[in-house]
Amino acid sequence: MTAAGSFVQAVQALPLRLRQEALSLPEGDRARAEELRLRAGWPMTAVLPEGERPLGGSPVEGRELEQLVEIASRASLHTVLDQVRRGYLTFEGGHRIGLCGTAALREGEIHALRAISSANLRIARQVKGAAAPVLDGLCPGGRLADTLILAPPGLGKTTLLRDLIRSVSEGEGCTPLRVSLADERGEVAAMYNGRPQLEVGRRTDVAEGCPKAQGLMLLLRAMNPQVLAVDEITAPEDVGALITAAGCGVTLLATAHGEGRAGLERRPLYRPLLDEGLFRFLVRIRREGERRIHTIEELR
Amino acid sequence: MVHLLGAVLVAAGGALLGFQAAAGLRKRGRAVRQMEEGLALLERELELSAPPLSRLLERGAAHSQGPARGLFQGCARGLDRLDREDFSSLWRRMVRERTELTPEGQAVLLSLGDTLGRYDGERQREALAAVRRRLGELAGRLEADSRRQGRVYQVLGLSGGAFLVILLL
Repeated sequence: MTAAGSFVQAVQALPLRLRQEALSLPEGDRARAEELRLRAGWPMTAVLPEGERPLGGSPVEGRELEQLVEIASRASLHTVLDQVRRGYLTFEGGHRIGLCGTAALREGEIHALRAISSANLRIARQVKGAAAPVLDGLCPGGRLADTLILAPPGLGKTTLLRDLIRSVSEGEGCTPLRVSLADERGEVAAMYNGRPQLEVGRRTDVAEGCPKAQGLMLLLRAMNPQVLAVDEITAPEDVGALITAAGCGVTLLATAHGEGRAGLERRPLYRPLLDEGLFRFLVRIRREGERRIHTIEELR
Repeated sequence: MVHLLGAVLVAAGGALLGFQAAAGLRKRGRAVRQMEEGLALLERELELSAPPLSRLLERGAAHSQGPARGLFQGCARGLDRLDREDFSSLWRRMVRERTELTPEGQAVLLSLGDTLGRYDGERQREALAAVRRRLGELAGRLEADSRRQGRVYQVLGLSGGAFLVILLL
């Protein structure tokens, strides 16, 4: 699907009036738009690479924000309530609506969002071929080796991980392998009605929505993976699960927030990953102007 | 001979009117009972697998009868137009089209439009159960009315027909 096509698909979740406003964007801007921002009492805006631009319509009403959730969930809030409690909602096409409003608490936990005040419609775009520059380096002898992708937020870790999974699963430029993906927040595969909305390959099994550590163990037991993939290692339990998985002879593919190896060594959370020699390669991503530069470093 | 035939026809016409009125009463009770059974089905499906509303309504339509089938089918189709009509309005419109449910039955059902698909599965099941119970009570009342008044209508029809025959002869 083209970038402009993704935009048109994403805005199907908007109530009619707002959708017409969004579609008034010129074709070129539709292809470049990253998000649509809806704030109660203010006109809807489009987020473009150069910044946020108001679309000039009437202010968004609270009722329209509720309608947005109803359309995106196909009037089935009970099927996405866990996501909504975490502040987002993924819908057909892998697009995602970030939600913000007054929280209703139950036993100290967010039970629901009572009055939605803002929504952020993020347009999903898959970058096929994003892994091509690093694939050869990560597959010595044609088979993927244990790899950790490291970069600060916003540099494309998830995009690279998704395309690496797809490439390995499809056997594009390497030996095809069975991949199991623990996709806790649904950002990698964006499952909808049991199907990934973003391509992760034909040999990929996805466990979505469950905590990463539990998801990794579930996949390991149930799906007999050759590669175990996870986005964003953030907790000691995640590290523990990866160490257990490594002991089972599975190739690991993961991402983490960070700048470089030195930073990784300083953080107690990641220290065991290095001590245990879990990963053979470290892929770092940095930006040079509009381009992203990948660097592969051997860890063991 | 012609007079006799006419008399039989008038008597039969009167009886038919009475039986039709009785059947109309039975039909109302049956429609509300079918709706009650349809809601019970949705309740069970929600408990078993909590499917999306579209699938829930489609399954409900496939295994229900009478007004429940029509209501579920209409609402499932309307889910493709949520950008034009929200589910609550859609449900209300569809309920009002099912006149066989009686105004009382319709009034009981209307509130479900504000709950289905908008809350967690448990709360939706509770709302379904509450409405189902009220429909069950209504169906019971209508069935009792039908038994009591149905006989009255039948007797009235027969005796009305006979009375006309006597008058005409």
